[in-house]
Amino acid sequence: MATKEELLEELIEAVVEYEEEDCVEAAQKVLDNPDVITPMEGVLDGLAAGMEKVGVLFDTHEYFVPEVLMCADALYAGLDILRPHIEKDDSASKASVVLGSVQGDVHDIGKNLVKMMFDIAGWDVYDLGRDVPLEDFVEKQLDTGSDVLAMSAMMTTTMLGMKKVIAMVKEKNPDCLIMLGGAPLTRDVANLFGADGYAESAGNAVSEGIKMIGNLRKYEKGEIA
Amino acid sequence: MAALTGKERVMKMFQKEPIDRMPCFSGQGTVTVQAIEKMGTQFSKIHNDAELMAGAALTSARLWDLDGLVIPFDMAAVAEAMGRGVSLYDAAEGIIYPTVPNKWRDLDEISVPEDFMSKGRMPIIDDAFKILKKDAPDLAIGAWVLGPFTFGGQIMELDILLKGLKKKKEQTEAFLSQMTKVTIDLCKHYESLGVDFICVREMGSGTDLLSPRMWKTLIGPNLKLVFDAISVPSINHICGSTDMIIEMMHECGADALSVDQKNNLVETREKVGNDVLLLGNFDPYGTLTTMEDTAEVADVIKKCIDDGVDSVWPGCDIWPDVKKENMETYVQTVKEYGAKASPAVKRI
Repeated sequence: MATKEELLEELIEAVVEYEEEDCVEAAQKVLDNPDVITPMEGVLDGLAAGMEKVGVLFDTHEYFVPEVLMCADALYAGLDILRPHIEKDDSASKASVVLGSVQGDVHDIGKNLVKMMFDIAGWDVYDLGRDVPLEDFVEKQLDTGSDVLAMSAMMTTTMLGMKKVIAMVKEKNPDCLIMLGGAPLTRDVANLFGADGYAESAGNAVSEGIKMIGNLRKYEKGEIA
Repeated sequence: MAALTGKERVMKMFQKEPIDRMPCFSGQGTVTVQAIEKMGTQFSKIHNDAELMAGAALTSARLWDLDGLVIPFDMAAVAEAMGRGVSLYDAAEGIIYPTVPNKWRDLDEISVPEDFMSKGRMPIIDDAFKILKKDAPDLAIGAWVLGPFTFGGQIMELDILLKGLKKKKEQTEAFLSQMTKVTIDLCKHYESLGVDFICVREMGSGTDLLSPRMWKTLIGPNLKLVFDAISVPSINHICGSTDMIIEMMHECGADALSVDQKNNLVETREKVGNDVLLLGNFDPYGTLTTMEDTAEVADVIKKCIDDGVDSVWPGCDIWPDVKKENMETYVQTVKEYGAKASPAVKRI
């Protein structure tokens, strides 16, 4: 019988080597060995840990965006198998996020990488897609009362729209955490807009998103409060 | 001796002949809201009407006393002409550039119509060039096109294209060859309309997205074919991270290289030598739209010149909503601080 470490290693390797079928197989093995490993461990210490390794490869210029996208596909293939089997804690209210690319922006690579992070964490994700009119962000956030609103704009030409959305949401829901991501944004610009977090580019979204996955794993293990 | 016209100044720069001062122009969009307001129109309308397109470019150039101008303003026209639709955001408040709403999702679906050059807004762009050739004989009139890879990402989903580079290499290479032919045809078409220079923007191919190795095998060879085919002065522009590919960019054979603020220009100049025309590399939004102090703007422009550009170019489209005094400072600083010779271009 496989050990927990072996099962996790299979998941990690499948993600890092962007092998979707291997990831499905490894995830199925996790389900087949309930005495050894839980689906949640498979997600956090297998899939997410694999993605952390991908982050290192990306930071060291061994992997670039095409490889990361394929690793993400492998991760989702495994997540689709494991997620339905994770026991839900009905007593706790689930965290939620509204995300999308701002109107005028038809790019969604960065947004989808950020989305992956929330999917791994098991949040309720309201993905509005791309080229999303500003009022739709506000409407959905107010409708769901989401903890986080994450908006992406890859082009310089679309990022100004975010400023208005932030003002409108913060006015009615000051506790909502707002994340901005997109290639043309700098930290200064994000500060100017009044946002709480930002990712500079698809590349940074990869690095930052994966670091957040790392923090999430520590949080789940009780290593950080 | 009579002062050079803007066109003479720009064309001499491309020939690396001595000029009176550094030319101030760009191969990226340089339309500004002040010009659009002066014309009494709206940003969303200048993409869809030849008179307004030419007028917005020319009014901007005259307002800021630039040496050249460039059209069109958006990157959706060719994809639209290939049947992928266009979102012009007529009803949206503020400035939103047109986008392509219906990209192909699979390489097998792609079918490039033979007659795309006569479809959609393409004839409007043609007419705008004709107007500018008539109304602005003293200015360098430029066209810009997307590079083959970036254009491919306009007609098909970028994530699928990126993954295709690894998963379906042969099919993706064939697609990029097809896009190269489209790019060349478009450049030749613009040449036939009498444009003075062509800026090829392979903006999606920096090492933020692709590895240098991928760039070398899939991007560089196609760009070389494009620049081999262009007979007017040409610019190889890539925004984002370019430090690792700048030498390969140079090998593609364009008359000039253009990079954005992420490039370490001092190192680039060392790598390519003083004989190569380098254009760049300030952040247009961070400089012209947001800076509060014109002294800061002047410092940014001076740094570009000190670092070794032959013309100060924004790293992207100038965001139309510039501050008047920042734009004036940009142009004035180029004229004054750029009076001295640049690495590749001497002075009269």
